[in-house]
Amino acid sequence: MKKYVSLALCSMQNTLAYRLSFILNFVANFIGLIAMYCLWQAIYTGRAELSGFTWGQMQSYLLITFFVNSMLSYYSESSITNKIIDGSVMMDLLRPIQFQKARLAESLGSCVLEGLLSCLLIGLAAVFTLGIQLPNDAATLLLFLFSMASSILVKFGIVYLSALLCFWTTSGFGIYWARTSITNLLSGALVPLAFFPSWLQSTAMLLPFQGIVNTPVTIGLGMTEGIEALRLIGIQWVWIVLLWLLGKWMWSGAVRQITIHGG
Amino acid sequence: MTIKNSPRRILYLYWRLYSQQLKAMMEYSADFYIMIGAAALTQITGFLFLWVVFSRIPDIQGWGLWEIAFMYAAIYVSEGFGSLFFEGTWRMLRLVNLGELDRYLVRPVPIVLQIFCTGIGMNGLGNIVIGGAIIAMSLSPIDIVWNLQTIFMALLMFASAMTIRVAINLAANCSAFWIRSSGNAFPIMIHNLGEFAKYPITIFSMGLQLLISIVVPFAFVSFFPAAALFGREPWSWWGWLSPLVAAYFVGLALLILRIGLRRYESAGN
Repeated sequence: MKKYVSLALCSMQNTLAYRLSFILNFVANFIGLIAMYCLWQAIYTGRAELSGFTWGQMQSYLLITFFVNSMLSYYSESSITNKIIDGSVMMDLLRPIQFQKARLAESLGSCVLEGLLSCLLIGLAAVFTLGIQLPNDAATLLLFLFSMASSILVKFGIVYLSALLCFWTTSGFGIYWARTSITNLLSGALVPLAFFPSWLQSTAMLLPFQGIVNTPVTIGLGMTEGIEALRLIGIQWVWIVLLWLLGKWMWSGAVRQITIHGG
Repeated sequence: MTIKNSPRRILYLYWRLYSQQLKAMMEYSADFYIMIGAAALTQITGFLFLWVVFSRIPDIQGWGLWEIAFMYAAIYVSEGFGSLFFEGTWRMLRLVNLGELDRYLVRPVPIVLQIFCTGIGMNGLGNIVIGGAIIAMSLSPIDIVWNLQTIFMALLMFASAMTIRVAINLAANCSAFWIRSSGNAFPIMIHNLGEFAKYPITIFSMGLQLLISIVVPFAFVSFFPAAALFGREPWSWWGWLSPLVAAYFVGLALLILRIGLRRYESAGN
């Protein structure tokens, strides 16, 4: 356990070493948030609610989505794919650590900083807008925070699986891109799943992606409560375990066909 | 001996440099298809987003689904054009940080041309195909008066839009001369300003409108051409400014490049 903690700390320091890139990266994503904010603002002019969302709720939705999307950013993802593409994965094979656990530790390490910085930006944004509506009662708040934490693990499962695809291709960026666009649509990051036509909505609910954005956001906004909220968190954890096992299985297949050139 | 850089020579050199990159590219054919597929996918999900939103509302400030889809796709097509033919701008960080620019500086070929041909982004093909399809689909539901003037204007605005995009890419990536970091974060940030031009600019505050009309003129890639083509007042005449804006930004990009090159010192060994 200790070795994984130190890996997490290392990755945190690594992130800090490239702080300018890290911050600019965040600002770049923030631009997307501002664009979406203005778009929804224009959409809500003259409307009280759309698909069960009021403008106030939509604002919170955008901010929470930004937060969730900031976690496990391109930074962590590309560090996994680069290891595989440039062959430094070999060093990990030599060490007495498990690749999957080590990558999880590193990703969580950077998540701490990503979380802090996005909280700061969201805080700033909240000052200028109406602010975020957070759940009032302690139980909902607890469920919300727990589902947020779980959503990071669901995302890690998906990111890890797609990163392992780089054992078969050298196009890490293409994989990242494809994964992002699918995740954004099916997790509800682009538009709440409630806006989807019912067939697309029910399909999305059957997939792991909804655990990343839809679950924490609907719980945080008080749209799912009590047993229903617990059920959604349960589904998140089913996916966390399934994706983890799938990652393990894929890794054992992947290392068998690895070729590393030169030394 | 001085070599005259006639347009013919430039085109010939571009073709030779480009085709060499293409050969290198085809070595990894899986990557080739992954990039095309990923770009197409991004764009299709983007369109689905608009479609889902517009299934709930009739219009945004009087702009319908297809009008906004046109702007949305215009941004993507220009992005694809930049990637497919001028991807090298995105590799400047590498050229500068690894000192590879040295090689370019000693060759009797314009440096900009060599930078342009440092790579090919096959994702551009995916962007152009899907974006082109969305634009084609959007043209039939929208009332456009097609005559010689609109056709001429459309071509002029298209050429300007592509030029503006490439010039923005070049200017933004010149940050490599100043920011010594490992990532493309600054140019990506500028690139993301294009997000604002995917929608009618009137939904943004005045500051943002000025930003994407003048400072980083993405609005001339999508919104102003769209407004001109659809005859939307009061912006319809703005489209005629496109070539001027393109000339202004090309000049600016080249100036930034020149200042950057003066700062450039090789990685050395």
